[in-house]
Order: sequence, then structure tokens, then C-alpha cells
Amino acid sequence: MTSDYTKFTLQEMMAVAAAREIKDGEKVIIGTGLPLLGAYLAQKTHAPNMVAIYESGAIDCKPIVTPFSVADSVLVPGAAMQGGLMEGLGIVHVGEIDVGFLGGAQIDKYGNLNTHVIGDYWQPKVRFAGSGGSNDIGAGCKRTIVMMLHQKQRFPENVDFVTTPGYFGGGKERETYGFHGNGPSVVISTLGILRFEPETKEMYLASYHPGVTVAQIKENTGWDLKIAPDVHETEPPEPDLVRVLREECDPTGVFLKKQ
Amino acid sequence: MKKSKIMTAQEAVSLFISDGMTVGIGGFFHSPSYAITHEIIRQKKAHLTICQPSFNEHADQLIGAGCVDRIISSYVWMEVFGPLYCFRRAMEKGIPHKIEMEDYTNFAVMARYLAGSLGIPYVPIHSMKGSDMMNYRAWHGEKKAILMKDPFGSGHDHVLVPALNPDVGYFHCQRADEEGNSQMWGIWGDMPWSMRACKEVIVSCEEIITREQIGRDPNRTILAGYKVVAVVHAPFGAHPKHCQGYYDVDRDFIFKYIRESKTEEDWKKYMDEWVYGVADRDEYAKKFVNTFGMKKFLGLKAKDMMSTSVNYGF
Repeated sequence: MTSDYTKFTLQEMMAVAAAREIKDGEKVIIGTGLPLLGAYLAQKTHAPNMVAIYESGAIDCKPIVTPFSVADSVLVPGAAMQGGLMEGLGIVHVGEIDVGFLGGAQIDKYGNLNTHVIGDYWQPKVRFAGSGGSNDIGAGCKRTIVMMLHQKQRFPENVDFVTTPGYFGGGKERETYGFHGNGPSVVISTLGILRFEPETKEMYLASYHPGVTVAQIKENTGWDLKIAPDVHETEPPEPDLVRVLREECDPTGVFLKKQ
Repeated sequence: MKKSKIMTAQEAVSLFISDGMTVGIGGFFHSPSYAITHEIIRQKKAHLTICQPSFNEHADQLIGAGCVDRIISSYVWMEVFGPLYCFRRAMEKGIPHKIEMEDYTNFAVMARYLAGSLGIPYVPIHSMKGSDMMNYRAWHGEKKAILMKDPFGSGHDHVLVPALNPDVGYFHCQRADEEGNSQMWGIWGDMPWSMRACKEVIVSCEEIITREQIGRDPNRTILAGYKVVAVVHAPFGAHPKHCQGYYDVDRDFIFKYIRESKTEEDWKKYMDEWVYGVADRDEYAKKFVNTFGMKKFLGLKAKDMMSTSVNYGF
């Protein structure tokens, strides 16, 4: 592992971008992988009062080693409360959680996510896991942060199956459903950061990661992606954040690939 | 003293699980009963409908072994470990036969269990609204979920999901007494609602304790024994998953399973070795030690992180 914290990987860029989305004191429901690292990075830096929650019913977790799973046994000792799915997802369902993390096989321009199938539902080319807690998190959390591998087939005009609705067809359509949650606020992809236009709810490119071009992002998006007038390079991770990420959040390289 | 319900996994599965039953399987990544799951496979039970909010490799093995016709769940996968290939082969190619899945969300399955455990016909939820899970329905058809306007005037629709009451349920916990009073800590998963909704329950556990020990810490009891029909003593019964306070998850073994289930041929070899080739959980544990060594086995053992005791006095 390099000790040069001015150099960073794409994974580290994404984890730092996720951390920046979390405010101090927020209640955050966390998945595994980069969302977990992003959330812990936030907690160890600017958001020490963040409440870390897992759908497995672990509330206000302070694990002493990096958890690998949302139901890892290291989440339990030290937690403020440990229950089950009814406790973990019940507080999501009621609308008390500020931030949830989502991902998926496909996302469309209104943030609708697919984690079910590629192809026809009844005769799938590829069958994925299903919703799990994704749809619950999308419906209940005040806002969601979506983390995606940015490829054309993963950013299609229309998803093959709507597992977790974003803004449906855009505009005010989501509001008619009466969800507690307000929908996705940001998509952190492997190429850039995308947000949603406040009126139309259409996804647009806010920034491109260091070393990536706008053209490259457009090429890897399945619709004519709108670009923010002030589109700019994503702020590179501060060396100190890279250090905390490597040395404190994932010292054994559970998720961060060793250099 | 009440009649002891302690029996072997073989006896429990043979007596209480029949072909065609709807079976509720307890746990959420933590503490699934491999002791019972593997016995179901060895006894070649068939045409089962299996229910769990989120399924992992135990479902994959039941599907690959041909025990399952239908799944009620939100998830069949193994997180960042990877996909489950028997599930995919069944859903994508009908191998070993076509199966159906009634796709819900994690919370929606919990809501179905909640309704089932309370004896009410349905529970209204926010989840699933507007998603394609409302448009694609398997054998439940119209009764999978119904969108209904809130009769109390919020102005919004809610999704009604029907009560789920499996014929039989099984789960694994840390300790139980011979009446079936079961104590569980750590991640409860779908407990207690799942097992409370089942008509009968088989419990497997790491340790058998006395009724007196249960009574010294009754708040830790997740299920009272009256609906338990069998208690199976099965140390190491959740491996390769974890059981809080007893052993940690065996990541290497899960990766091994996922790797070896990529092709049908390799999967069959795995099953011959680790399921069909062992008679029960004791043999499984011995085989594990013989294959991977005592050091690896002891390496999984949980560290001591004891809770403080509380005063139940009056």
C-alpha cells in the first residue's frame, strides 16, 4: 500500500465523493463496499455524529474492524441497539433515515434503478438478486446516494425493470406516490458525479473525475446526457482523506484494492 | 417437566417437512440453519415453496438439488461475495427445473410475516409502489399485492401485502431448552416475526440449556417453545455463516462455494462432498477439521466479548 496520499485510485475518489455527501448528525443506512467506506470516512472526519445503521438492525454501529457484510458479526458489539430486519428497515419505512445508499445493474435518466433482470423478466438473459432492501430504502430514506459503474449498458434510456423508482418519468410524478423519501440526490459513478435538475428531475453531469473527459462520459451514457453549464473536474480527494480511508477505514484492504 | 422435543435433524425433517409444503427459513446472513437445510436436501424433499426476506447460498443449494418449485423473497444472492449460480441457472435456463419467484422487497416480506404473526389478513406498506414488482406477478397473481387508497384519508395509495403463514419454519439460534424455548442474540434477521407466523417450528441450536437457565434471562428468548415441534442440537450448525458469540463467518468457504457452483458439474462435486457425503452436522464438522485443519476451525471461534448481567429481581 502506497503512503503517497496525493495519488489516489478511482475507488478512493468515489468513496471520498460519497463521504462528502453526508452531513454531520445524519442517520445513514449503509450497504457494503464503497458506500460503507464513504460513510465511515465521513464519520471519521467531518461527520463524527453520523448514526450508522444497517438493514440487519444494527443501529449506531462503531465496529472495530471493517465489516464485510451488512450482517457482519463485527457490527454487533458496540452498537447502540441490535435488532433484526423489522428494526433496521422499520425505521427506514417510517421515514426517519436521512440518507440511504443504492446501486444497481441499470439506472435511467430519472434515477429509476434495476436490480432484477437484464432482458425479459420471465425469460431473463441475466437474473440478478432482486430488490433486497433497495426498494425499501428508495421509498423511505429522505434522500439516496446511488453508486454506479458507468457503462453505456448500465445507463440506458429505459431500464429493463424498475426495482427502485427514482423520479419515474420526471417532473412531479414521484410526489404523487406519497413516499416518505424524496428520491436520489446524486449518482456517484466511476466517471463522474451526476445530479438531478430540480424541476424536470432529469440527471445531468455535474463534474467529471480527474483524468476523465465529458465526451467519454457522454459516450458511456445511453441517452443524450445534459451537462451542467458549470461542469468541472471533481475535486480530487484531499491527501488527508486518502490517508484516513487507507489507514483507518480499510487498513486490511477488504474493499480497497492494494496498490 | 414437559416432554422433551430434542431429536436429530434427520428425525425432525422426516417428521415435520413434507413435499409440497411452504417452508419459512429463518435468518438474515447471520445464523441460517445449514443443519436443517442440508438434511432437507439429503432427504430429497420436493415441490417446496421457500420463504425468507433475503436468501443466500442455502437457497441456492436447495434450488440446485431440485427441492424448490417456488420462492417468496426479495433477494437470492450473496452480497459482495457474488452471484448464486443454481438460482441463476434455474431462473435463466430452467435447470434443474423452472422455478417461480414472487418478487417482493425485504421489508414487504417482513410485513407479510408481521400480518401472519398477528392473525390479520394484510399490512399496508409504502414499499413496492410504482415498481415493476407490482406489474410482474407469479403464481399469486392479483393476490401478490394490491394497491389501495388509504381509507383514512391521507390521499395516497398503499400497497397491501397478504399475511404469510408457512406450514413449517426452521431457524438456528445460540441456545434452546428441550421444550423449544429459544434464545438468540446478535442479528435477529427475520426473527421473531417469521417464526411466529409459521404454524410449526423446528429449531436447531448451538447449545441445549435448561428451562431454569432460560428463565434467568427471559428477555433474550426470541421464540417461546409452545409452537416448536423439534429441537435439534447442531453445533457449527450455521457454518459457513456466523453465529454470534460462537463462530465468525467463513469467507473462504463462501468464496469456495461460489467458485465451485459456477458449473453444474463442479457444484455436484461440492454437494457430494459437503452435503450428500456427510450424515449429519457432527460428520460435517469433523470433515471440516480434517480438510482444513484444527487451526482454521479454531480461527473461526468467536472471541469473548461478554455482556454485563442485569438484575431481574422484584
